[in-house]
Amino acid sequence: MSATPRIHTRSESSETVAVSGIGAVKVDVRALNFYYGRFHALKNVSIEIPERQVTAFIGPSGCGKSTLLRTFNRMFEIYPDQRAEGQIVVDGEDILKSRRDVALIRARIGMVFQKPTPFPMSIHENIAFGIRLYEKLSKAEIAVRVESALTRAALWDEVKDKLQQTGTSLSGGQQQRLCIARAVAIRPEIILLDEPCSALDPISTAKVEELIEELKNDYTVVIVTHNMQQAARVSDRTAFMYMGELVEYGPTEGIFTKPSKKQTEDYITGRFG
Amino acid sequence: MKVTAPRSAPAGASRLSLDVLFRKFTGAIALLVTLSLAGILIALTRESWPALHRFGWHFLISTAWDPVSDDYGALVFIVGTVVSSVIALLLAIPVSFGIALFISEMAPRWLREPVSAAVELLAAIPSIIYGMWGLLVFAPWFGNLEPWINDHLGAIPWIGALFQGPPMGIGMLAAGIVLGVMIIPFIAAIMRDVFLVTPQALKESAYAMGATTWEVARYVILPYTRTAVTGGIFLGLGRALGETMAVTFIIGNANNLSASLLMPGSSIASVIANEFTEATTHLYKSALLALGLILFVITFAVLVLAKLLLLRLDRMEGRRA
Repeated sequence: MSATPRIHTRSESSETVAVSGIGAVKVDVRALNFYYGRFHALKNVSIEIPERQVTAFIGPSGCGKSTLLRTFNRMFEIYPDQRAEGQIVVDGEDILKSRRDVALIRARIGMVFQKPTPFPMSIHENIAFGIRLYEKLSKAEIAVRVESALTRAALWDEVKDKLQQTGTSLSGGQQQRLCIARAVAIRPEIILLDEPCSALDPISTAKVEELIEELKNDYTVVIVTHNMQQAARVSDRTAFMYMGELVEYGPTEGIFTKPSKKQTEDYITGRFG
Repeated sequence: MKVTAPRSAPAGASRLSLDVLFRKFTGAIALLVTLSLAGILIALTRESWPALHRFGWHFLISTAWDPVSDDYGALVFIVGTVVSSVIALLLAIPVSFGIALFISEMAPRWLREPVSAAVELLAAIPSIIYGMWGLLVFAPWFGNLEPWINDHLGAIPWIGALFQGPPMGIGMLAAGIVLGVMIIPFIAAIMRDVFLVTPQALKESAYAMGATTWEVARYVILPYTRTAVTGGIFLGLGRALGETMAVTFIIGNANNLSASLLMPGSSIASVIANEFTEATTHLYKSALLALGLILFVITFAVLVLAKLLLLRLDRMEGRRA
């Protein structure tokens, strides 16, 4: 990669500049501040997320990486004392200020959580549920969509004979892939993964990582992870966050081989965090 | 005794015996509760035996209630009890669901506690107050509404017969509505509690797909808490079945069976409250006690079912933790 890692610091982060070598920008976060009540959790964060690439957020616990991810689909809005200030521009539209139904914003942005959260219904319904929220389809059409989503999540062969069983009857790794299938089924443009492997065993983790690699052909993927090796393995670009600030952001290779900030280096070499 | 064995201090011996004493004492108290339950059942069965022996199974399906010729049947009262309780549930379930959903999902934090407390206070109002409110405030108002019910609901084929009758205010429907208000706090409290323990991640997953609060409640929270919600409903039903004072005030106390919900009726609890002091003959008294036995069995069965359902929820929670 010829481009030098783009570094956001507090002094320059209020201005966003087109980045060379990044490709099309899918999500453009500008001077974002986030508050849990009085606690200032994100401090003037600006970051550009490239389209159809995997972007990883790393950093120690409480650094704000999950908080940042959760602003992308306005998930924080279901909690009355949380608020965000700034801009999050997705395809030219500031979603924080958008007057459109938040459900329509969330339809374009799928999310997978730390722990697998299959809904209390059958495997088939787990996926059909989300599709039906947006589209009126016949049973046959739904079945096609369910199959393609499960295939997408590399789960079809394992569950095709037990689609009517409850989602909770699957193993942890299968449940997480079911959740990915569920997110994919509503045909989003962006997929947010909030530590998707932290509750999984190594084999399931490998499968999910393989899947992430696969997903970036069609989707913009943003992943929060505690696991630096994982970030190094799956992501194209990595953002290191610390204490609510974006410390360093650039191509993953650069961040892990020659970080330009001391804090980043200390973290990736395991001196803290 | 195995538990206390490790204590080997000098005072150990006396402490040990004290512990044994305490254990026996608490055990005896616990046993006493079980014994009194059994005692009630035995006494009820023995006292109602003359009536049960005389009328046999026919007692359950007979609509007769004639103290003069000593002919008794329980059907009018069983129907009255069940119908008024079912009306109560039909009213209380959706209202409680709305209250619980508002408290757990929609209310701002500062409003949660006041609303919860207000709903719980409904349970603290003595039932005789409900009865008086029902008779003196609700029934006259409801009586004014009944002509409208007659004209509109009464005209519907099939179910219309349920809503035809004199606009007296009191009656089966009025009793069911007052009962419904009385059991709302019990059902709402349980629904609220289980809605609040539904994993946040599960709700967020559904919100993240763009589901609305209603869709999250309907398709995620409700299926997830199904068992406990059913248990809570049965708990409310158990209370409605046995409620005496409020029902006695407002059900109308007529010993006959009518298709119309606007007509006065009678429930097991209300007929016992009304007639027990007047039960002069041996068989009359025995018939009333037999009614009591039937109520005991119905209520007991409903509460056991509720407990079983709630127990299953606890086990589910345990497995998840």
